[in-house]
Amino acid sequence: MSRDTRERIVTRLYRGLLHLYPESFRQGYGDDMAETFIDGWREARRGGTARALTFTMRAMLDALLNGARERLHDTTPRSRMLYWQDVRYATRLLLRSPGFTLLTVVVLGGGLALSIFTYSFLHTAMLRPLPLGEGAGIVRVMATRGVETQSIDAVALAEVRRGATTLTHMGAYRTRDIVVGRADGRRVVDATETEPNLFQLTRTPAAMGRTLLPADAEPGAEPVIVLSWRTWEVAFGTDSSVVNSRVDIDGVPTRVVGVMPPGYGFPVASETWIPLPNAVLATTEAGTTSFDVYARLRAGVTAAAAQTEVGTLMARAMAAIDTTSSARTEAVSAAIQSFPMAQMGETGPLFLAILNGLATLILLLALVNVTNLLLARANERVRETAVRLALGASRARLLAQGMWESVLICLMGGALGTVLATWGLRAITTWTRAHLERNMAFWWVWDIDRTTLLAAGGFITVSIAAVGGIVAMRAAATNVNAVLQDGGTRSGSRRDGRLARALVATQVSTVTVLMFFGVMAGLVARRVVTFDPGYDTHNLLQTSIAPEGSRYASATSRRVLYQSVVDGMAQWPEVDGVLLRAGLAEIRSAEGAFELAGRAVTPTGAPTAHVQGVLGTLGALGIRIEDGRPFDARDAADMAPVVLLSRALAARHWPGQSPIGQQVRLPGLPEATAWRTVVGVASDVPLGNPLARNRSADAIYLPLSQADANGVSVIFRHRGSAVAAREALNQVVASVDPLLVPSRVQTHEEVQATMGMITVSVARLFAACFGFALLLAVSGTYGLMARAIWQRSREIGVRRALGATDASITRLLLTQGGRQLGVGALVALPLMLVIGAGFTHFFPVAYALAATAGALVTLAIIGVVLLATWVPTRRVLRMGTASVLGRE
Amino acid sequence: MAPESPPPLRPIEFEILLTLAGGERHGYAILQETEERSQGTLRLETGTMYRALRRLVEAGLARPTERRQPDPQDDERRRYYAITAEGRRAAELEALRLSRLVAAARSARLLPLGT
Repeated sequence: MSRDTRERIVTRLYRGLLHLYPESFRQGYGDDMAETFIDGWREARRGGTARALTFTMRAMLDALLNGARERLHDTTPRSRMLYWQDVRYATRLLLRSPGFTLLTVVVLGGGLALSIFTYSFLHTAMLRPLPLGEGAGIVRVMATRGVETQSIDAVALAEVRRGATTLTHMGAYRTRDIVVGRADGRRVVDATETEPNLFQLTRTPAAMGRTLLPADAEPGAEPVIVLSWRTWEVAFGTDSSVVNSRVDIDGVPTRVVGVMPPGYGFPVASETWIPLPNAVLATTEAGTTSFDVYARLRAGVTAAAAQTEVGTLMARAMAAIDTTSSARTEAVSAAIQSFPMAQMGETGPLFLAILNGLATLILLLALVNVTNLLLARANERVRETAVRLALGASRARLLAQGMWESVLICLMGGALGTVLATWGLRAITTWTRAHLERNMAFWWVWDIDRTTLLAAGGFITVSIAAVGGIVAMRAAATNVNAVLQDGGTRSGSRRDGRLARALVATQVSTVTVLMFFGVMAGLVARRVVTFDPGYDTHNLLQTSIAPEGSRYASATSRRVLYQSVVDGMAQWPEVDGVLLRAGLAEIRSAEGAFELAGRAVTPTGAPTAHVQGVLGTLGALGIRIEDGRPFDARDAADMAPVVLLSRALAARHWPGQSPIGQQVRLPGLPEATAWRTVVGVASDVPLGNPLARNRSADAIYLPLSQADANGVSVIFRHRGSAVAAREALNQVVASVDPLLVPSRVQTHEEVQATMGMITVSVARLFAACFGFALLLAVSGTYGLMARAIWQRSREIGVRRALGATDASITRLLLTQGGRQLGVGALVALPLMLVIGAGFTHFFPVAYALAATAGALVTLAIIGVVLLATWVPTRRVLRMGTASVLGRE
Repeated sequence: MAPESPPPLRPIEFEILLTLAGGERHGYAILQETEERSQGTLRLETGTMYRALRRLVEAGLARPTERRQPDPQDDERRRYYAITAEGRRAAELEALRLSRLVAAARSARLLPLGT
């Protein structure tokens, strides 16, 4: 959406809200106010999306409050009394129908709760400034190459630091796991290796002791560490004597110099801070090491201006570096973002935008439904309205009376929505603290705050304007003659009927599609939770290492590194087998194609397999050698090229016989084009994306000594102490290459639990949305059908007078309801087919299961619509013929 | 009540008159200048300001002027508001009242001397 379009939309919205002011005021100041609003909106827009959204919400709430106050000011004591009478009249009406009131308040409250919750969630996750001293100015500086974001080379960083005038407090950091403690008290925590100015940047002093000092980063300085409050609580049992005591960090005695205040975890979720040695920072060799970078925008400088300046400096620095190292051709630039925005990654904003779009759609559905329910009720009172008009009541008075009922419902719905949203925000904070402890950004604390209240005020204002406006206008547009002639049963035009039927059909199709999507998402979440990797995950740990291309420029240097890690790990008694693994090609890809010696290529093309480079013990992953031998010292780089095949692949191409001694070739992999001899057959392990339907055990394994990989997964099994095995990894990698930092070590259960938890949470969120959508379908369809049937009450009375039975009339109306159901289902069907095909293609969900889910969802909707038709039919039939016709 | 002692202005009305005393302003300029003068502590909402402007206009203390372009480069026009002679007098009286209050606060040692 372009900026002009957005501006047009918000201006229209604001102009609409100005109707909350009395007409006389609007005529005098309406245009001026709209112009002032748009001036402010443009200024806020320059400060970013968050400011523009907050400004819009404030303006909406302002219109509601000041509009009401101005209306009160504009009235005489007599008309104030009339207002009060109208409010009491509307309250009595609502109290007289508690069921109706409860339904409308719940429907609107639910819609508002979803919108308030998602907006507040988005604001805290992405848009709110960091909760630190002048946190809005703290930014993350990143290098970009094309669409790829990366950390900044140490040499380029030095150049940028020298030249940047738009930033202050620039500093480098990197994160890694460390093992804190000794013997049985050891614990793995996240450490941020940082320049000491990080604490000046965030303007946060230590709660106990001190933060890092420049002297701590000097060569030969005593090793020191600063603890987060949580680490102090969990790992040191809130022992206040810990400050100035010594603890082991990866086996090195280190002095604890301070503890940070509760809730502090800058840059993201840091549990400890250790100094980044000046010697590492001052490296003069390009491509040696790179860092993440923080900074503060100089006062009055925008992120865009800083990005332009840093981008130019970075491009210049990287151009000098690239001539001596890598041959990447994409232009290097810089990205400067707030930490929350950078943390969300590329897909985060899209996901949150979809979530907000969905919530807005549901609020829209809720508003339509509540409006329809109120209109249906207004229909029931149409005769009373007409009589009052005929007796001389002014249309303005009727309009005001019509408004109040809507206003009260919107206010009650708004209160309910705000309470529900607050509860949801607090629940999500508690849940994330409990389940995502080590992945929680420190600013992810959701609760009721000013923004949430502003959002609530804004959404309630829009609801009042939309629902109240429409209902009041319909009430005021009552045709006195038509109503008094036929009692209102024919006063609804044919066009109204068609519109109502179209709305029912639209609701049916929308809710069917939404519910089907929700059920399919639930099925996928269940598959993730119950996912079986196909091998023993007991005591299994995994991490990855990615050597810098410039320091490990050749395949040989990478092989030496990998071999050193495997050899080093093998020395540790705590480690029970280690395997380095790199995915070289996927099945059904050009790189994964292979040829068999002595066999012609089939008409369907070359067969394919997952191709993996491995080094170490396949047994670490639970893969057994079932035939032949594993890779060993005979398979060095300069020896005859060899491969292992999986049992499934061997059985497919050499059924009933051993493939040992046969030859295969991998023309798609540049480093493996020679014919390779099969030396063994390994047991099957399904490979590929865990969520993909096309997981396959067809695999070809190459020794990493004869292949090449820029990075590898390190999979190792411990003998009972995961912490000891992690410490072994840290020490081995540090001894092989002090500049190489492995990624976070995770157990298989942690990986699966995180993946499962996120998937299940998203599915639950969708389920809640769709469950509410179902409630909307019930209320909306009921409201529409009630209106339609009420308008036919005279016809029903005549039919009964002519001898029709209740059963036949019920059948007639249910059949007509069924027609709208059929239309809705027909519209939904192609969309459901697309969704079903998408889910069965991308996820491990069987066609039969998807079809069954589709059928069950459709049956549920049929039940809902028929029930929503049957209830108002019963109400009309209960009235009796004489009562219906007697109204004429 | 004597005509020379009108009722005290509301703080927001005084803020607006204070801004208009410097010359004619359009709505958004009034908001901006008020916020700048209070160093961000006072942030007027659009509705609050126009309701106050309505009161000032009705009391004859301010008046709307012609619509004109705030920026010569821009063809958008804005309505400007100006302080009237009565408005200037009301603002002066209010300033005097406030300065007396400040002097009283100082003599009661609620404010340090010389501030």
